[in-house]
Amino acid sequence: MQLIENIRLAFTSLFANKMRALLTMLGIIIGISAVIMITTIGTSIQKTLSNTFNSMGNMNIFDIVIQTDEDTPIFEDDLISREMLDELVTTYPDHFDLEMSESFGNATTRNAKGQTITMNVSGAMDITPAFDHRRGRTICYEDNKQMKNAVYVTDLFINQYFINGEDPIGQTINLTFSNGVSADFVIIGYDELPQIYKRQYAPGTKEIDKTTPIVVPLDTMLHLMHQEPENEFYAMVRYNADYDPVMLQEELQEFFDEKYAEKAGISIYIFNEQSYLGMINTVISIVTIAISVIAAISLIVGGVGVMNIMLVSITERTKEIGIRKALGAQNSAIRMQFVVEAILICLIGGIIGIFTGMLGGMLIGYIAKELVTQFYAEYAELISITIQPSVPAILISVFFSILTGVFFGYYPANKAAKMNPIDALRYD
Amino acid sequence: MSNKVVISMRDIIKRYYIGKPNELQILNGISFDVTEGEFVSIVGASGSGKSTLMNIIGALDRPTEGTYLLGGVDISTLNDVELSRIRNKEIGFVFQTFNLISRTNALKNIEMPMMYAGIPRKQRMQRAEELLELVDMADRADHQPNELSGGQKQRVAIARAMANHPSILLADEPTGALDTKTGRMIMDLFHKLHREEGTTIVLITHSPELAEETQRIVTISDGSIISDTGVRSYAAD
Repeated sequence: MQLIENIRLAFTSLFANKMRALLTMLGIIIGISAVIMITTIGTSIQKTLSNTFNSMGNMNIFDIVIQTDEDTPIFEDDLISREMLDELVTTYPDHFDLEMSESFGNATTRNAKGQTITMNVSGAMDITPAFDHRRGRTICYEDNKQMKNAVYVTDLFINQYFINGEDPIGQTINLTFSNGVSADFVIIGYDELPQIYKRQYAPGTKEIDKTTPIVVPLDTMLHLMHQEPENEFYAMVRYNADYDPVMLQEELQEFFDEKYAEKAGISIYIFNEQSYLGMINTVISIVTIAISVIAAISLIVGGVGVMNIMLVSITERTKEIGIRKALGAQNSAIRMQFVVEAILICLIGGIIGIFTGMLGGMLIGYIAKELVTQFYAEYAELISITIQPSVPAILISVFFSILTGVFFGYYPANKAAKMNPIDALRYD
Repeated sequence: MSNKVVISMRDIIKRYYIGKPNELQILNGISFDVTEGEFVSIVGASGSGKSTLMNIIGALDRPTEGTYLLGGVDISTLNDVELSRIRNKEIGFVFQTFNLISRTNALKNIEMPMMYAGIPRKQRMQRAEELLELVDMADRADHQPNELSGGQKQRVAIARAMANHPSILLADEPTGALDTKTGRMIMDLFHKLHREEGTTIVLITHSPELAEETQRIVTISDGSIISDTGVRSYAAD
């Protein structure tokens, strides 16, 4: 019941000495706002990185890498074969897709006007589009199995080829490859040209002369080029994120462990590419915490300021303490009164600090964003700086403000509580 | 009037600097009783030990030796928390310099002892308003101490002292900082409280004239009682 009374008393006392209270709070304000500012910037950097990662496309990829003991020689037959990967996809059709592509140089075609259009050909097993402006469908595993003459293009190519604006899906185009082989391909879908390609064109390049990437089934391409799939040291599979990645990784590990069980000295190492982001985030978190701790030292300085003012205050109010004791205030009531006052100073300072810190963090974030877009305009869409105040940091700050109040307020308050009422009453 | 003993002192001795070369004995064995409803004055020159005696009566201090029963409770054996409770409930202090808490209005000052007694806010406010009425200060409830005259401050202080229905009203030179006319009004207020409320009042003073107004005069000199008139017929009015 006395808590409310004490808070009321503390407010009265703070309002009586507004300037002094504000100056005392300044130390706490600076301490808390420094911590908040740093954590705000820290979380912003983390958010930005994760945005950048996400904008690069689907990162749910396992790298499958062959590892050998130092003395074990490795032969063609020991490498990861297409048969193994085919078996993996057929065993777990919903879990994994093969992330496999190969470049096949340039190809050309002619539009209705007879203009030559140049394209950059990749053969792929599966494509997951990074952008969601897709029309039609993408190249899939089945297209490879059946060696379909299917092609996945870009909106730029559509504009170059279809002058009259007809529906491109299902249309057949004739592609001539760098080795002179030519074949008909059916357009199964297209996507917006990724931003990252746009900056590759020299300024002033005509629309018709811009080379765009196209994708065809890898196996179709290998067949056309009279090539065989090669065994690899390294493979990538994309996983379905609807499942637990840890479970999927174990599944994958088991699958390959079985394949390599009889090959002594050769093993398979599996790495989730998502963990790159995790590692970077960990580093940023550590740096943020380390700097925050340094910034928190100013909180101690602020706390000493609070203690100093509280000592002055109780000396000034010795008479009041004596009167209160004569009226029947117990030591604990006096102690509580001054501890609450110290907590209030720190808490108000802390809350102001949180707001100024967030404001400062946002300001720095926006300046950084402006600078980045100024110098790297082409990345403007790719990089988005997210200003996000850290909620745990705010909660911890409030907690530490209160703790500072208790810690630095207790000694003066206890001194007040232990005053001899007779001496205190006599004090002038 | 009833004969219930409120204050009972036996051989009270107070020493300071005990065991040091400058050991000092202020009270040399004080014994006296005050019964309920008495208006008694304790008179003595400065240095006579009357302030020390007042501190002991008011439970601000403990005697070095002897027993002091306040309403039957032995004060000398109580701890700090219990002493606080005694000061809060049994004693109503009135000081020479009023000792109102600054930046706190009259009503809140009167509420303070009740706050420490744990009385709910509503009840406190009601009682405080009644007390302001009693001391004729109802129109000054929300005035701060620095907006009140000396006499008004002392009346608020008396109302505050009465807040928890104390066993004794302990007044230490209550007119000492006031002019004669205002001092007269304050003394009249004490008489009124004594007469109408039946309050037990212990008045500490160095002035024989003021003491003359009370029922009983206890005179102290050099730490000993040198005379005690006993309860006399009421002379005032």
